[in-house]
This record gives sequence, structure tokens and C-alpha cells, in this order.
Amino acid sequence: MAELRLTMTAEARNVLTDLLRLIAPAAARVSVNRAKIPGNDAEIASFWTETLSAQAAEEARLLATAFANAKGEPAVILLKNDGQAFAFLRALSAVRIALRELVFADVPDAALESSELLDDESLPTEKRHALACYSCFGLLQQSLIQQLDPEAFD
Amino acid sequence: MGKPKIKPEIKTETVPTLASKWNVVVLNDPINLTGYVVMVFMNVLRIQRALARKYMLQVHEEGRATVWTGERERAEMLALELQQWHLNALLEKDG
Repeated sequence: MAELRLTMTAEARNVLTDLLRLIAPAAARVSVNRAKIPGNDAEIASFWTETLSAQAAEEARLLATAFANAKGEPAVILLKNDGQAFAFLRALSAVRIALRELVFADVPDAALESSELLDDESLPTEKRHALACYSCFGLLQQSLIQQLDPEAFD
Repeated sequence: MGKPKIKPEIKTETVPTLASKWNVVVLNDPINLTGYVVMVFMNVLRIQRALARKYMLQVHEEGRATVWTGERERAEMLALELQQWHLNALLEKDG
């Protein structure tokens, strides 16, 4: 697989990095709490929880490091192989889920999908800011998926 | 006159039983992108794009889809793997 590149402005990188510092630790926790783990066998449940926790923590670290190392203008994140790209995709998904559950729990699904909320001045600034980041993480995910599989969204 | 000897006739037979089957079910969520879900199904379930897309649409439109049915151990592995990709997957006993 050829090297994959995610490019963004330095400003976007700074904003996303700041948000990641806040949300990444929670993202790992939320993704484990949200998982429907079979509870009828304690040993399996324990293995299941540990597997999800370890992976979520590792991916949160990967995401934070990738953004921290993306220097310059434009800021570029390089992903060297499928494994890195897939882990990055999963980490972005975990962050979006955490934002959804911790920041936009009161926002209906349909409203979250539309960009109108971004212009809704009745929302607190922090919430609109987090919403913009949520959309940005989605765009990064989409860009990466299209590089990995150009037919994925057909 | 002696008592008749009754010798019970004992027959045994093996009745085949089917091991119970388990479904791996994926529930809709408003967060994961459609292309992401298709890619995950193709990678985790090792299925072709057309089937992956069919499952994705079913999840999106009906709220849930059974994406795999079979023995419990494998179903657990697949459900865990789908959860590692942050899909809303769960296990259900079939039938």
C-alpha cells in the first residue's frame, strides 16, 4: 500500500489537537462502556473488556501523536501502511462517538448530520466549536476511506 | 410350571442434536459513515462489496441487520472485532 496523507491547515490541526487532548482519554472509556459485552460468562466478559480497553487506549495515543507530529503549513499526517490507516480510522470513530455521547447527547441525529447547527447562534460557542471538530474528524475519516477504497461511498 | 422369563429388550439410538446457533447483529448508529461501515463489513466478515453494502443499507433503514449466524465461539470473535471498529454489534441466540 502506498503511503497515505491527510492534509489540513495548521490552524485546523491546532484546533483539533487541543480538542483531542480533552476528549481522547474519555473516548477510550466511552467506546468500552458503549459496547454490548455478553455478561453470562465472567471470563469472556473480562477478556472482552480488557481487549476493547487496551485497543481504545492505544488508538487514542496514536491519534494524539499523529496530530502532535503533523507540523508545518499545511499540516500533514502520514500513514505508512494499512494497519496504521485502519487504527487511525478506528480512533477517529471513537472520538466522534465520545463527542456525540458527551457533548451532543441532546442533539437529534438528523440535526447532527446537517451543517445548520454550526450556524445556530443560540448554541453555546463551545458546543459549536466541538461540532465543527466533529465534522472535521468525519471529513478526515472520509478522505482516508476514499484513499483506501475509492468505491467505499459509491 | 416355571415363571416365564421376561427379558427386556433395550434399544439405544443416537438422536442427532443441532448445536445452538448465534447471530451477530449490528444496530444502527448515527455516527459512523456509510463508507466506513461497508469497509468494516468487508474486512471483518470477509464478504464482497455488494453484500457488505446490502447489510449497511439494512442497518441504516431497518435499524439492525444480522450479519453472521453460526457457532458461538466464532460469533463472539466477530462481534468483538466489530466492536473494536466501534460498530454497535451484539450477540443473539438464534431462534
